[in-house]
Amino acid sequence: MKCLPKLLLAMTTICAATALQARINVVTLPDRDKVQLTIYNSVDLTLVKETRALTFRKGLNRLEFSWANTLIDPTSVEFRALTQADKVDVLDVSFPPRVANTLEWRIQSDVAGEVQVEIRYFTSGLSWTADYVAEANQNEKAMQLAGAVRITNNSGEDYENAQVRLVVGVIRLVEEIVTLARQNMPQASAPPPSAMPATALPARDRAAAGLAFGGGVALAEAKPKEVVKEGMSEYFLYTVEGRDTIPNGWAKRLPSFQTPDVPLTSYYKFEKERWGDRVLRFYKFKNDKENKLGNEPLPDGAVKAFRFISPDKLYAFVGRTAVKYIPIGEEVEMELGNDLEVLVKPKLMNWEKSDLRFDANGNVKGWTIKETWEIEIQNSKEIDITLDIRRNFAGDWTLETAAKYEKVDANKVKFVLPLKPGEKQKITYDLTTRQGINAQR
Amino acid sequence: MKKNAVKNVLWMTAAALLVASNAALARVKLVALPERARVVVSLNNPDATLVEEERLITLQKGVNKVDFSWRGVNIDGTSIQVRCLTSPDKVKILNTSYPPNENALIWEVFSPAAQEERMRISYLISGLNREVVYRAVAEPDEKALNLRNYLRLRNNSGEDLTDAEIGIGYGANFKKTIAHEEVLEMQSERLDAVPIKKILTWDAANLPWDPEYEKKTVGIPLSYVIMNDKASKLGAHTLQPGKVRIFIKTKEQPEKEGEKPGEGVAFTGEDWAQLTPVDREMKLYIGQSRDVKVTQRRTKNDRYEIRRNNSNNDVVWNVDEVYKIEIENFKKQAVDLVIVEHIPGYWKMEETSHPFEKKDAFTIEYKLSLAPETSAAKKTTVTFNVKRLNVQGNEPSRY
Repeated sequence: MKCLPKLLLAMTTICAATALQARINVVTLPDRDKVQLTIYNSVDLTLVKETRALTFRKGLNRLEFSWANTLIDPTSVEFRALTQADKVDVLDVSFPPRVANTLEWRIQSDVAGEVQVEIRYFTSGLSWTADYVAEANQNEKAMQLAGAVRITNNSGEDYENAQVRLVVGVIRLVEEIVTLARQNMPQASAPPPSAMPATALPARDRAAAGLAFGGGVALAEAKPKEVVKEGMSEYFLYTVEGRDTIPNGWAKRLPSFQTPDVPLTSYYKFEKERWGDRVLRFYKFKNDKENKLGNEPLPDGAVKAFRFISPDKLYAFVGRTAVKYIPIGEEVEMELGNDLEVLVKPKLMNWEKSDLRFDANGNVKGWTIKETWEIEIQNSKEIDITLDIRRNFAGDWTLETAAKYEKVDANKVKFVLPLKPGEKQKITYDLTTRQGINAQR
Repeated sequence: MKKNAVKNVLWMTAAALLVASNAALARVKLVALPERARVVVSLNNPDATLVEEERLITLQKGVNKVDFSWRGVNIDGTSIQVRCLTSPDKVKILNTSYPPNENALIWEVFSPAAQEERMRISYLISGLNREVVYRAVAEPDEKALNLRNYLRLRNNSGEDLTDAEIGIGYGANFKKTIAHEEVLEMQSERLDAVPIKKILTWDAANLPWDPEYEKKTVGIPLSYVIMNDKASKLGAHTLQPGKVRIFIKTKEQPEKEGEKPGEGVAFTGEDWAQLTPVDREMKLYIGQSRDVKVTQRRTKNDRYEIRRNNSNNDVVWNVDEVYKIEIENFKKQAVDLVIVEHIPGYWKMEETSHPFEKKDAFTIEYKLSLAPETSAAKKTTVTFNVKRLNVQGNEPSRY
């Protein structure tokens, strides 16, 4: 099952400057000590940081790094010494001709002995997604919301025992990593990696320190791994507790959070212009402390909603949808498809044309239409619901009704009504629209 | 894994205590195949079939791997959920792994002790389709019928479901076994003497006005109307859409003289029932009646108050219309007839011989009860006079 590592690190010691052409590859092949993956979800990008212990000779050292059959961006590979940093210096980096997926650092060391080094690069092919399961109570007044993250590795490389960090946020890339990865060596559009100072990306010291805690397996025996969340700039960083191994081609799903008793509103919407005759069901909740959430923004992802229908918690499948990124404090509506058990039937009951006005030529230039509408409403469900009916009116219109309504914008109103199980209601309204020169606005 | 030929969905537990981290993803398929303890099929959602199955799984202390894989079964892999039922607070699902190019997943389950755990897995399956079928036998007087509702399950899911509890969102669950490729029909409701109304509907927009000009006798659509309410012995739930076949009781000729006539049925027609919430009507159009004749004529069609522009074109006018509808019932029985009329635009009813019901802005209905044998001199005549106002020639007739 275990694949051979495709990333090879070979070290050559240079005795004389004239020996430059001879590339002797086998000296020491140090194992990866630690690897950390920082996976972005908005772009196909993962920052890989690996640390290894290398033994340097005093003087010039050559270090070869090659990455066959992976999706590593050659322009992103960086080297830095973690110990003896002031005594180990990268002189230059070479992408040798006619050798694919290989680079070579020339490193000047003022010390002889073991040095902890860090190699950092971008790869594509690793991705993560969030998904959620909502389990609503029988009366749909509360739910348990559980979030999970799923990490998929199609990068070509097996990352064993890796610390996994996930970034929620949108970053900009001017070139795709996968395109750069296919170029084997840096092409014209990209700056050479040596041009980029080793400190260009801030070292994530805090995360690096976190690497010191191993023992993911031991922790996992007690409980599911915790996903630790922290904000940074415009992003949110999820760090999965402990270590994980995700072989190439595999995916792994880890629980992220689980919150019971989140208050929920079973909200139904009708808007003919958007959904025709269908009534759509929404689960509404708020991502804040008052509603037992609000610890973190919720990344965009797929949602599956179930409802308990028996005391032993058998499910009914309510529906599935995708949610947008939900900041802390925002109210969310999850659209879960149409529900045939809620009926909304608008009928035009009367239509009158009056107030005709003519121009000097005797043609009709203005008129007024008065419409009487009746909306039949029926909740055939066995639970309380809230129904939101939206009506769109164009032009210079006036609405007269005994029903309570709210103006959404210049051309839209909404009637929001709570409905008991089995309740039937009828809303009527008169809509007057002034046309042609009768229109005053 | 391949040895089991019957079950296509496999659960496996591997006693894989995580000794070394490298073994974390090695799939040990050393198996005690747990038996299904319970299968529940939920058809509540018309767009998706949910299957829940429970299995007793013997867990060892520590981290166990439970392998779930399927072949030839149309399971939606992204829908799979697992729950621990025996000790949900102690036994934890640590993570789920998805091997490449396989219909499988592996749960890592932590158990604090060696114990048996009842686990419930829920997933959406395709290929298990349901339809609702109605069969009814009407009394000879067509005032009531015996209604039988059936749930027909068609299993093309690839999975044999044994002793499955099948729920449709109302009533009690069925407990049935349904094999792959089997079609199973179950009676879900049985209602006797459900009152019905028999109605003929003559719609001026669809039927010829003057039958004299037709080569064939005009048939008037015949419907049975069932009210989904308590008074009709229904009203407990929304009636689902499905095909309704209606029969009528007949007396059969005795084989020998002097014997009591036997009872038989004749088929009177079928229709697709629409979704019918409680307290609403299910109208089933099952055939035509040719013993009722409707003749409609417009006897007045005068424009007045014509307003013309400077080029002498008509721009706005009113119309004074009179309609006469003559109805003959040749049957020996009384029958209910609905006349549907469509009047576009802005109008006012000036006069009418019978009360009408305004269905919407442009539709009215006359509901008539025709006495037996009311033809010729005894025919029923409906007249109405409507004034259409401020007509410009572009009046709306629907909304």
